[in-house]
Amino acid sequence: MGLKPATNPDVEAASIDLTIDGKTVTAKDGVSLYDVISSTGKIIPAMCYHYTFDPFGSCGMCLVMQEGKKAPVRSCTAKATAGMIIRTEGDDLFQARKKAVEKHLSVHPLDCPVCDADGHCELQDMAFQHQVTTLANAKQKLIPEDTRSLVLDFNMNRCIACGECINICKDVLMIDALQFMKKGGFTQVVAKGDAPLACEFCGDCLAVCPVGAITNKFSKYLYKPWQLKKTTTTCNYCGDGCQMHVETKDNEVVRVTSPLSWKNKWGDRSETAKGHGGLCVRGRFGFQFIDSKARLTQPLIRKDRKLTESPWIETVETVVGRLADIKARYGPNAIAGLITARCSNEELYLFQKLMRAAIGTNHLDSSARYGHLNFVHAAQHALGVGRMTNDSADITKAKSILVVGSNITETNPVFSLRVKEAIRVYKSQVIVVDSANTNLAKLASHPMLVKPGTEGLFVKGLVKSVIEQDLIDTDVTGRHAQAFAALKQAVAGLSLDAVASATGVSKVQINEAASVFAEAPRSVIICGEGIVRRPGGYQHVLALIDLLWVTGKLGRPGCGINTVTEEANEQGAVDMGTSPEFLPGQVPSDSDEARTKFSKAWSTPLPNKGVGAGLMDILKKCRNGEIKALYLVGENPLGTLPASAEVKPALEKLELLIVQDPFMTESAQLAHIVLPACTFAEKDGTMTSQDGKVQRIRQTMDPIGESLPDWQILAAIGSGLGCASMEYESSQDIQREIMKLLPGYYNLGQPKKVTVNADGYLSNGYQAEAAGRYCAEQKAADGGKRFSLTMGQLLYHSGKLSTQASGLLLIASSAGQLHMSLQDMERMGLKDGDRVRVWSAKGTAELSARADLSVLPGSCFYPEHFNSPPIKDFMTVEVDAVTGVPYFKQAAVSVEKA
Amino acid sequence: MKFKAWLKTITFYEILVGMAATMRHLLRYKPITLQYPHEKRTLPDSYRGMLALLRYDDGTEKCVGCDLCEAACPSRVIRVVSSEVPGEPTKRYASEYYMDMTRCLFCGMCVEACPVDALGMTREYEWAVYDKRNLLLNKQQLLAIGDRSYPVREKRLEFQHPNVAFFNVAFKNLPAKGT
Repeated sequence: MGLKPATNPDVEAASIDLTIDGKTVTAKDGVSLYDVISSTGKIIPAMCYHYTFDPFGSCGMCLVMQEGKKAPVRSCTAKATAGMIIRTEGDDLFQARKKAVEKHLSVHPLDCPVCDADGHCELQDMAFQHQVTTLANAKQKLIPEDTRSLVLDFNMNRCIACGECINICKDVLMIDALQFMKKGGFTQVVAKGDAPLACEFCGDCLAVCPVGAITNKFSKYLYKPWQLKKTTTTCNYCGDGCQMHVETKDNEVVRVTSPLSWKNKWGDRSETAKGHGGLCVRGRFGFQFIDSKARLTQPLIRKDRKLTESPWIETVETVVGRLADIKARYGPNAIAGLITARCSNEELYLFQKLMRAAIGTNHLDSSARYGHLNFVHAAQHALGVGRMTNDSADITKAKSILVVGSNITETNPVFSLRVKEAIRVYKSQVIVVDSANTNLAKLASHPMLVKPGTEGLFVKGLVKSVIEQDLIDTDVTGRHAQAFAALKQAVAGLSLDAVASATGVSKVQINEAASVFAEAPRSVIICGEGIVRRPGGYQHVLALIDLLWVTGKLGRPGCGINTVTEEANEQGAVDMGTSPEFLPGQVPSDSDEARTKFSKAWSTPLPNKGVGAGLMDILKKCRNGEIKALYLVGENPLGTLPASAEVKPALEKLELLIVQDPFMTESAQLAHIVLPACTFAEKDGTMTSQDGKVQRIRQTMDPIGESLPDWQILAAIGSGLGCASMEYESSQDIQREIMKLLPGYYNLGQPKKVTVNADGYLSNGYQAEAAGRYCAEQKAADGGKRFSLTMGQLLYHSGKLSTQASGLLLIASSAGQLHMSLQDMERMGLKDGDRVRVWSAKGTAELSARADLSVLPGSCFYPEHFNSPPIKDFMTVEVDAVTGVPYFKQAAVSVEKA
Repeated sequence: MKFKAWLKTITFYEILVGMAATMRHLLRYKPITLQYPHEKRTLPDSYRGMLALLRYDDGTEKCVGCDLCEAACPSRVIRVVSSEVPGEPTKRYASEYYMDMTRCLFCGMCVEACPVDALGMTREYEWAVYDKRNLLLNKQQLLAIGDRSYPVREKRLEFQHPNVAFFNVAFKNLPAKGT
């Protein structure tokens, strides 16, 4: 990190003084001269510089005069030293910089009118600023455009060889997909090995390209920057909560750009600990679903078995009438509702208010039930905090990071950059525990490849190993001697050898991982779907918390336990109380104090205590006829849950199924009433990211067709049902109500640090809990099946929503492929794309196979986003006893060549 | 003085002065008003009339859809929708091009802005219509105006490589044709 300040967060760099344009400036030792000058507010042109990576020094624009030197020096690659006397302005410097621009322009085509970067081009700006009007010896490169990649086009005629794309790919994203290559007499940027570019397609190279050399295939030639309306909003795909600019032309989304660009090149690298402003492939290239042709544009009512279009007024009247009728005939508990965690906080709040206040039922749930609630419940129970305990800066500066069961570079790519930065800049030790050889495992110091489904067991092994190696923090164990004794007793039955043989990781490695984690001053845990979506998820999160407290990390600054979420607002769904067990603000729904507060605020009594069903119970009650009406807002249980969950019979048995969705989902096809909802781009509101940042989403365009924002529909139904306090004019009105009920919730993207307190948990009833947690797990007999099939997320997709984005389908098509290890494919004589037959007791399916280097022999992977063929139907559903989370992501299958 | 004023009063002198020009024209009558539909004025050479889109000599449109005319237009007359040339993925053109002539000031800034001389101002001015909507012209209409007003077309420059996104740049060191 040559020119950057000392990157150890524990050490402060020394100060030096130097003179810039006659003024004395104090700077940190070891910093680039360019950074020092830009920190004084002076802007020197530089085309190859970006603060997120080390200076490259190719453009020759950042010239300054240093006293004692004859020629101008490049300030970016010069190190600031004490006593330097620097001049940054003057006619000689202007002429020298102008020469540099002319040098670039002499081999740059003058095709600005057809170039996508026109109007947003640094070379154009520089040519204008330095008044370049004639070029003496212009020569063209005449390099054909490289259009082989699926997403990006490389026009190397326009390239100025600044290397920003290569540097950001290598240094910041650590993907290293691009390189310089001398070809046809010119230095060109090509994908590694001059092959068609196949990378993670995050598009950060596109964002930092100061000219039009890299262009976006999905919006190529469709716009000029001045034609577009730019709206800053929050990405709707995963829980990272990235800010992005949606750029629209009338009612059409043309492109999505990130706050990261060549224009924001000045900054302090310590800021990047909070994020560098980039996006991932989903955010940047998966915008086509917003203005997709498949969007629902009209309310539909089933008449004579067919869904027919109907005007809004009539539809809402029907919805209200039929709900009121069912409530009158069977009581409020015959109505239930499910909502997706892609809705805004205001909508989630309104949904639970509609259910609890207007209808009077506590049968409601959100898609946070698919896993995130495991984490929330465990953290609430043990720590009194219902979200992840660290912010991204903590993760960047951690000394050791335990990433368990989370393919974080695929599921939450931008969050994973914090871990990558921890590895790269702060040299932290990362322990990756996963059943796949993930991209992060390839970068990590301690990759631990476990057998599928044994991530939880590995965690227990870590706890055992910490106690066995005496890596415990005696302060804490002394304070909670009883709890420690209980834990010690509980893990006594667990043998490390058994853990080693079950997980396939040697005892030495387990011990090493335990000591790396326990001995680091700042240790952070990140757990993902491999923990919270697999059987025993709740207990495994508690085991991770055991690991934290017993090593004394709990409550220590910079340490903590974190999770990542798949959908954008899962944290908000929990906070807004869209689950039977929580009221808004994560208060238990049977707390008398909270019940009084909310029934007063909504001026209506709340549903009775103890009543209330979560996702799986709702479906069960639908099947046995207790629930007559189901209201699905953006949820599609039929497309998500396996056939063994018997969703179809449940939905078919209903008297009234209302589906509110932007798209015609599988569940909507069974519905009696379909209400067209807007996507996130057509409404205002807020989203809560996984780390508790409440960020705004803004309306970028008018709703497509007659679709309406969810909150408008919910408010209309609520007031139709006679709930007087459900009349709102804008989402701000709902916000104001939430602000009154949950003071301090709207933190404008700056969440307060949470303080954890596990004293109550460790002193009350911990003994009994710990004893049950560490008993040996029953391994399900696989019935002679050879492969362990896992369903999980792909980098290029998120839930089912992204399967409506044509750009992402181009990269990863919806015809799902079975990902198998190279060894297995060779053994079975399979080539990429060959058909295989997969079967288990639940059925047979035929699909094509592909080799995936991250999959281990003996296991195979299927992306959970796709239902053709419906591999999900192979799964059995196991429901968590405590949290009611359904587990259905793993099965044992047989695979053979078809 | 008093006598002079009295003389002017009784001879209606001021009126005669005032009517002198009228009287003169009354005697030497020569009409200035053109009988417009039957007679037409000779336009000055620099007349800036109806806008038109032009073509090259081989019949291809000159417009590359760069949208600079839209940016230059002070009264937001022009709307350009650009896209790739079908079958030629590196070439850009205007797939749709609209001019709302009800708003046009005929200032000619779009013509000046055009980097490929694809826009021209013609000597047409007879564009009175009964329905204002007829003044929203699309690309075909604008090309048709260009076709009838500019019979002599500019020669299209040779393109160098089918995969190179240059437009009308003249090069000294061109590769041989057909490569």
